[in-house]
Amino acid sequence: MFNEVFNKNKPRIAYKDIVSWANSLPYHTLIKKKNEAENLFKKIGITFSVYNNFDSAERLIPFDMFPRVITKLEWMTIQEGVVQRSLAINAFLRDIYNKCEIIKAKKIPAKLVYMNPAYEIKMVGLKVPHNIYSPIIGTDIIRTDSKSFRVLEDNCRTPSGVSYMIENREIMMRMFPELFEKINIEPVENYSSYLLDILKSLAPKKCEGDPKIVILTPGPLNSAYYEHSYLADTMGVELVQGSDLIVEDNITFMRTTQGKQKVDIIYRRIDDDFIDPLSFNETSVIGVPGLFHSYKSGYVNICSAPGSGIADDKAIYTYMPDIIRFYLGEEPKLPSIKTWRCSKAADRKYVLANLEKLVVKEVHGSGGYGMLIGNSATKTKIKSFKIKINNNPDNYIAQPILSLSSVPIFKKDSLTPRHVDLRPFTLLGHRKRRLVPGGLTRVALKEGSLVVNSSQGGGVKDTWVLKN
Amino acid sequence: MLSRTAENLYWTARYIERADSIARLLEVAYRIHLIPNTTEGYQNEWESILAAAGIKHNYLNTNSEITKNKIEYYLLFDPNNSSSVKACIENARNNLKMVRTAVTLEVWNAVNTWYHELSNYDKGKYDSKNLPQILDWIKRQVNLIKGTINNTQLLNDGFDFIYLGIFYERADFTARIIDVKYYILLPSSSYVGTQVDNFQWSIMLRSVSAYRGFKWAYGNSQIDYKKIIDFLILSNMCPRSIFYAVDKIQYHLGRLAQFYQSDNAANRNVKKIHKGFVNSNAEQIIDFGLHEFLTKFIDDMSTTYSDLEEVYFLGTDR
Amino acid sequence: MIININYETSYVFSSNVPRLVQSIMLHPTECLNQKVISCDIVTSKGELVEVPKDALGHRLYNIYNKNISEPQTISMKCTVETKDFFGLMKGLGESVHPDCFLRQTKLTEPDKKILNLVKKKVEKSSVDFCHYLNHCVSSSIEYLSGTTDIHTSAADAISQGSGVCQDFSHILVGLARFHGYPARYVNGFMLDDTDLASNDTHAWAEIFIVNLGWVGFDPCHDKCIDDRYVRVGCGYDFSFTSMIKGVKTNYNGTELLNHQLSVQAQTSQ
Repeated sequence: MFNEVFNKNKPRIAYKDIVSWANSLPYHTLIKKKNEAENLFKKIGITFSVYNNFDSAERLIPFDMFPRVITKLEWMTIQEGVVQRSLAINAFLRDIYNKCEIIKAKKIPAKLVYMNPAYEIKMVGLKVPHNIYSPIIGTDIIRTDSKSFRVLEDNCRTPSGVSYMIENREIMMRMFPELFEKINIEPVENYSSYLLDILKSLAPKKCEGDPKIVILTPGPLNSAYYEHSYLADTMGVELVQGSDLIVEDNITFMRTTQGKQKVDIIYRRIDDDFIDPLSFNETSVIGVPGLFHSYKSGYVNICSAPGSGIADDKAIYTYMPDIIRFYLGEEPKLPSIKTWRCSKAADRKYVLANLEKLVVKEVHGSGGYGMLIGNSATKTKIKSFKIKINNNPDNYIAQPILSLSSVPIFKKDSLTPRHVDLRPFTLLGHRKRRLVPGGLTRVALKEGSLVVNSSQGGGVKDTWVLKN
Repeated sequence: MLSRTAENLYWTARYIERADSIARLLEVAYRIHLIPNTTEGYQNEWESILAAAGIKHNYLNTNSEITKNKIEYYLLFDPNNSSSVKACIENARNNLKMVRTAVTLEVWNAVNTWYHELSNYDKGKYDSKNLPQILDWIKRQVNLIKGTINNTQLLNDGFDFIYLGIFYERADFTARIIDVKYYILLPSSSYVGTQVDNFQWSIMLRSVSAYRGFKWAYGNSQIDYKKIIDFLILSNMCPRSIFYAVDKIQYHLGRLAQFYQSDNAANRNVKKIHKGFVNSNAEQIIDFGLHEFLTKFIDDMSTTYSDLEEVYFLGTDR
Repeated sequence: MIININYETSYVFSSNVPRLVQSIMLHPTECLNQKVISCDIVTSKGELVEVPKDALGHRLYNIYNKNISEPQTISMKCTVETKDFFGLMKGLGESVHPDCFLRQTKLTEPDKKILNLVKKKVEKSSVDFCHYLNHCVSSSIEYLSGTTDIHTSAADAISQGSGVCQDFSHILVGLARFHGYPARYVNGFMLDDTDLASNDTHAWAEIFIVNLGWVGFDPCHDKCIDDRYVRVGCGYDFSFTSMIKGVKTNYNGTELLNHQLSVQAQTSQ
């Protein structure tokens, strides 16, 4: 396991000041600060409702005060890597909904795309404003040794977590101003204005004047609702629910105290299937009837575009290096992780024989649900996965159990290492791209655990990209 | 502003005000309980408190008897009561959560803290001993929230919708509480000036926290029903009077009409109601019939609410 | 052959509908098999707003209505000149890859009973094999109207042993997909001058055969489609091809639905 902070019990250079600060904190101050942080989070309203929780009680996402540090050099590698990937993803989406050159070139199996539930045939041949399908991409990155960062997963539908990135910083700055005086850290607070700028550049064909932007949320019961309202607030745009929008004569409006008002760009945080009960899932009550036809008619832009989800499908992930080479003519700057596709007989044979050494994931799953971590799973669970894989091999991929790098957390009065990952957020607009230096560091709070998802009891840390 | 935002702000405010009203009702109950001389008719007080809160029927659905402890619990925390203080706090916060960005962080914090502190008071078996402390907390939080609204909110249309919520609730509540006990305000030779009367009247004043105010306004002269009607219905000094609420509603509707530069039925009709009050006195109301007057008022206000809903909360073309 | 179609649907609402958005997929497909000489779609309430054609070539219209309480009638009157290409669809001009129609849906997913209909060895890219599948399906259930509804899946229909054209088509589509043939659900109209003629719309299946293209099979009648068929729309299953789809907002009432249809061959004058 790679320890990002300590090298043989000695702090690495980038962490020197932080470690001595952490060690100098008396236990009672630590407790006090911890409570302070918790109260701040509670007051601001950052809560995270966990699925499968019957009482829908809101929980605080645990915050650890020991920051995660990324050096300038490391950041440059990450930055180049995620931007490259995001460009490739958008080129890929444009291609598979139009000319399908990558399939004709046999770089990716036709059935993997065409039979994929995330491939939306209603999008075929449709001209998407400025050819940007997925303007906001969160890339999950892990580190396994001192040199390499690797991409674990792409999130190009509606990646969440960016509000934690900003709020974590806010809280650290409030509680430990002295650290920020000592260490030169890149700011992350510009994210919202970058996002606004990017979205504004994506006005649809029939938009006149300054585009009216809204964020579409499923509502306060959604686990990321706080983030939706945070972004709306800091961008200065309306946070709407499906019932706030109406479509008349293919034009999308919102209902206001002054009557209906035209809407041009929707940053939607609801799934494809629920956008419009008339064109997609007809049982959806959080969507807007007629919205998709308004989109098709060029009156409104929906970001991300319906059907974008295919690009972050785990089966497609395994082809990402080929996708990057095909569209950009470059080698991937961030390597992927060795992946076995259970749909392939040889791979499946290997996976079934080595389940104890592998992580098995559902192709269309997300949020750490439906996952098997071989070395820590019970025999019954391994058995049940064997049956599952045999019954539906196309639905599973497997990866080696990678030892994620670690950063310590405050545990009682000492520092103990825990596994972390990193999710930076890339923004792509019309002829512009933006990337805030930073991201969300998620940390597995259980000792030895590799699952960092907040829905599975993970926590978060402030992430510092150093200026020099 | 989004129509839903306006509607959520309005309802947030209504629920905050309602929680406050219920706390005041309970305070009266507590007071009755402290008076050692428990003669007959006190049972009636409990019943009328339930009736004033508009939940007597529901209470009797889940409770077989009317007891102090049970009523207190029912009004404060009982999950069977959809208009308990707890439900009001939750509803206020849920409404506000949907429009979190339409209020300042301070206002959100005030409401959110109220919600989070609720669990401190509602754990384990309910103990009547804690009532004063709980009531104190509710009222303190309500005042804090209202103060924060006044001090930090931008005085825009959202502010008006908040205040419309507060005063629609207050007008309705005061009207209902008088209506429940309207008979004690009727001139009747056999009661006037008796102990019972004075006690009943003071209870009524206290239930809208107007007892002290009344003394200040009328000096230490004898309480009589005309003065009470005047004070609780027609006075523009008493913050709990019906007229005061109507006056505020008129003011905020007027501001909205000006802000949006378009007049509407709600604004016009509230103006009419307001004018009716200005031209009334206690005797006229008694002549008309106090109960009839209050019923008509409640109906008229609900019509103006429908107008308000139509013009601002539906959000389509008019 | 020249076919005249008169289609009418009317809705009676029990109370005021605050908002109603409808999507209309009634325009016959324009291709070499059928030439649309005229087509008039009319609504008694609201206006038709055209939506850009989708990738499957569907011509869609939306109707946006507010506060309607009176009955609404939507009608389509068209004259189509049809040709018989022995089932083969020509000039569809669509851009969706046929492999997309290998995906099963809840309504088409075949169960053991359906798979057991096939006793022959599977052949690839074979018209004969598709005819065989069609034949197997044609006798798999009994044609009985009113025994199934819009939620009935292929597996449900086969286990109860009866159904209508919709169910026959689901079974055939699911079976063809299972054997590696892209297949889809098609709805439209059929000229039927037998005594059994119903006044309902018709449904059949299209199967994609490599080197040939999409071929229409009607499992109800155990044959390929011919010049008596007028095609309107296609999709993964029934739920993707509704001729009229509507979403009402804030409506608690009920609605009464009434269809009328006549399909007639134009006699030469």
